[in-house]
Amino acid sequence: MSEADVKSWINGDESAKRMLDRVLTSRPSFSLPPPLHRIPLRVANVVEIAGPSPSAKTQILTQTAVSCVLPKVWNGVHYGGLGRPVLYIDLDCRFDVLRLVEMLRHRIVQVNGCSSTAGNEEILKLSMRQFSYIRCYDSFELLATLKTLHHRLQKEKESNGIGGHLLMIDSIGAFHWVDRASTTLPLGGKNRKCLSLQNVLEIVVEDLRKLLLIHPMLVIVTKTAIVGTTGNEVKRVSTTWPKTCTIASCIVDSWPSLAPVLCIYYVNVFIIHNCREL
Amino acid sequence: MVSESMGSSIGQFSRWDGLHRPWSNGVELMEDAQKNKHVLSTGCEGMDFLLRGGLHKGQVTELAGPSSSGKTQFCLLTASTVAYKHMGGVIYLDTGNSFSAKRIAQFLNQISRPAFDEMQPIVLQKVMNSILCQSVFDIFSMFDVLHCLESKLKSQMCRGDNDEILIIIDSISSLITPILGSSGSQGRALMVSAMSLLKKLAHEYNLAVLVTNHTVGGDGGIPKPALGESWKTLTHVRLLLSRDCGSDTYHVSLLKHPSAASGKAAKFIINN
Repeated sequence: MSEADVKSWINGDESAKRMLDRVLTSRPSFSLPPPLHRIPLRVANVVEIAGPSPSAKTQILTQTAVSCVLPKVWNGVHYGGLGRPVLYIDLDCRFDVLRLVEMLRHRIVQVNGCSSTAGNEEILKLSMRQFSYIRCYDSFELLATLKTLHHRLQKEKESNGIGGHLLMIDSIGAFHWVDRASTTLPLGGKNRKCLSLQNVLEIVVEDLRKLLLIHPMLVIVTKTAIVGTTGNEVKRVSTTWPKTCTIASCIVDSWPSLAPVLCIYYVNVFIIHNCREL
Repeated sequence: MVSESMGSSIGQFSRWDGLHRPWSNGVELMEDAQKNKHVLSTGCEGMDFLLRGGLHKGQVTELAGPSSSGKTQFCLLTASTVAYKHMGGVIYLDTGNSFSAKRIAQFLNQISRPAFDEMQPIVLQKVMNSILCQSVFDIFSMFDVLHCLESKLKSQMCRGDNDEILIIIDSISSLITPILGSSGSQGRALMVSAMSLLKKLAHEYNLAVLVTNHTVGGDGGIPKPALGESWKTLTHVRLLLSRDCGSDTYHVSLLKHPSAASGKAAKFIINN
């Protein structure tokens, strides 16, 4: 090894300052409304919000979506939003868009101080354009959505140059019973794995992991945790799901400046004081 | 390379792209909600106030109550109101032979309040023709009916001719309870698939869905809706109904609503 090689190896690829600059622009941090405000969330983190029904999990997602789609500053007024696009995958099929619009309008009026002007409508439309929504009625549609998401994000990156999306999945356990009840189809040959919908969650986890490698984004997922008095009601989502939460720490471990993240909030009691005020 | 394994080739992308619904933009969703997802008044002011206007198209409303608490009466009243005031078709799935055409005619006479005592028979017949009643006694025949309805609505949609606006299932708990065994996931899987199909019909074809449920004893003897914990997440709006003994006054409380605080209650009277 020549002296020049050794010198270049010792000098390293970039200085810490340059790395920090690069990381802070390409992997921005998210400042989200409560109860997600207590932890520093970055892209490529996966957050699971679990709780029984009803415990306002979808409300948390809606509030987070509102703070995400609002721009930071618009027409000289500081709205304090993140201005980032939101992808909402609805597996429960219970999303109410009018609720989202109501909360968004309320935030805008709170900042502006006057209600129902043309400017308010314009910023409402601008923010709603950042919100993308899709419904999946079974596991196959979910898989298809995740597999085509890469292309969609790639196209957006090439055309608009924006990244750092927020991906929300409402109720990852929505197809749990349906998938469990499906019988396995042996594919023939002893060494091949049986094809069954019970493996779907494993594939979902794999796809999410690959997606996060290429398109780093913050993933927030809700899960309905059912605990009944008898053992029959306990819902056990497949054991592969907890692995997604450790995905965050796997990727994060390679960036020593960032703290490892694995967050699960058990929202058993979350009081919405007055729906009209939100 | 990860991006190669992600299937970045065009052929693979098009194979998967046809298998899921297209992404909607927030603005499109808003416009669809304002244009298509109207609110249907139920004919009962107390209930309309609680539900913020009435039954929302695109949402599934559950009405739970002990037996003889007025669930069927309310379903018949809603069917009459929707058929008369909103002039839309009603699909009534009856699981317990409790549908009564005579009662529908009585409600229609009450609602229309014409100058003379009874509605003109021609008008009455036309309105009653838009209420289709079908008896179903098990969950599989319900699936059959819903699938037929789906294909009918799909062809109607292409022609731009959508007539039906409300589906009532009285009561869905009598279809689901026999299959919800203590162990095994088949029963719950059927329940989840049935509700998924109803929600799809509601959203894609702009229908409101009303289902009724019975109650079981809960903590401290207070009745709670039946069908267990897994059922709780399947409907949009949940109401709990009760009736004062031997009177016409009904009490209803809101257990869950996407945009209203739960715990509100209302009282109403349905005259005989």
